[in-house]
Order: sequence, then C-alpha cells, then structure tokens
Amino acid sequence: MGDDRNRILDLLASGRISTEEATRLLDALDAKAGKNDGDEEAAATAKTGWPKFFASGDKDDTKTDADAKSDKAGSGAAPKYMYVKVVSQKGDNVNVKIPLGLLKAGIKLTALIPKPATEQINKAMAEKGMDFDINNLRPQDLEELVEAMREMEIEVDSNNGDTVRVYAA
Amino acid sequence: MSMPPYWLSFRVVEQGRTKFRLWLPLFLLWLLLLPLLLIALALTLIADLLSILACKKPGFTRFLLGVLNTINAVKGTEVHVQDKSSKNQGVAFTLR
Repeated sequence: MGDDRNRILDLLASGRISTEEATRLLDALDAKAGKNDGDEEAAATAKTGWPKFFASGDKDDTKTDADAKSDKAGSGAAPKYMYVKVVSQKGDNVNVKIPLGLLKAGIKLTALIPKPATEQINKAMAEKGMDFDINNLRPQDLEELVEAMREMEIEVDSNNGDTVRVYAA
Repeated sequence: MSMPPYWLSFRVVEQGRTKFRLWLPLFLLWLLLLPLLLIALALTLIADLLSILACKKPGFTRFLLGVLNTINAVKGTEVHVQDKSSKNQGVAFTLR
C-alpha cells in the first residue's frame, strides 16, 4: 500500500499526472483499504472526490443502527478514527474524522506535564465539579480505552430532525 | 514512529463546483524544518545531560519526541463542512 502511494506521489512530482488525478488515485487507494472508514463511504469518496456524506447531503447518508452494529461486529481490530457527524434538516452538515492516534499521542504528552502544573489542573477541574486526577491518565491504559471506544456511540436526534452522531471505527 | 502528514488540502465547493483548491506539499516543509529539528534535538540532549548532572529527571528530549509524535498523529484528519441552507457551499480540509 505504501509503495502504491509513493508511486502516485512520484508520478505527481514528475508531472505525469495532475493533482486532481493524484487525489482520485489516493482516494481510490483509501477506498481499497477502506475497512476502517467503511468501504462504501471510501468508494464514494474515490468516485466523486467528496465523501458520500456530502454526495447528497441527505439524512439517509448516515449509517443505520444495523449497519453500524454489523460494521463493529465485522471488524475485530481496534478503532483508528473517531467520527463526528452532524446532519441538519436544512442541509448544513459537518463531518469530522479524527485519528485516535492523536488521543494516544496527547495522553502520552500529559505524562510530561510537570507536577506543579498537574496539581493546578486537578485543582481547576475539582473546582468545576470534576473529580478527576490527570495523573491517572497512563499510556499503558490507552489500548484498553481505545478498544472500549469501539463500543461507544453517541447519537442525538433533535426535534427539528437534526442528528449528531459520535462514534469510533 | 509513524510518518508526518505529506499533504494538506483545502477545498471550497460552491454550487457543486470547486471554487478554490489549495494543496500544500507538507513533505517539503518537513524537509526544510529538518535542520531545525536536528538542532533542537541536539539542544534537548544537552539539556537532558545537564539535568542528569544536576540530579533532575530528564524530559526535554522525550517532550520533543512527544510533540513530533503528536504532529504525526494528525495524519488522516478530515473536516468537511457543508452549508446548503444559505450559500450551497462546502469546505473540505484534509491532512494526508
């Protein structure tokens, strides 16, 4: 997969393909490895240049409960991305994909926060009513946390038909 | 350690047509920043050595590597915003 990606970048650098074509090819590669993102969505992205989410912008683009469950059951690997999808009735949609590696890297960085600073953070959080010790965020527990996120799904449906979905896959 | 993002793409679509597209080859930026990174790495190693000599816990190099790891971890971030109600406009931001 890495070779294919490098070959596309080489072709782009040598001017044999345009940036537009390179985007399509890279998207097609992503679609091929689309187990993490959902094959259908990645394939739609490769075809149109936009994720399926935006292909029509309709509410139907979000996966149904059954789809989401079958995706999760089918993939035994730990989730790699966190998705936030906001679909409004008027068509104002937001789709955010965040690598969970960022969470891991961030938590690893917290281990390097000096002790006086962590004490201040804990104190500030306690004042806000959050009884949480930042020192308990240990990189060792990350894998378990990320694995547990596979089961997590937040879905909010508002009265006016707007929906918000947060899940990891 | 994973690789940092190679490309940053920013795209604005209006009425179904791409109005503005920006491709930033980040790999060129990383190449330009490599000498600075090597200097920073040397300085953090010296600082860690001084910390050890002063009987303090060394953490400067670990911090630098942690920051690099965080930069690498942003690869794959995608943000798409679609505003159909007023301007029928869409914005896509991708780090690959």
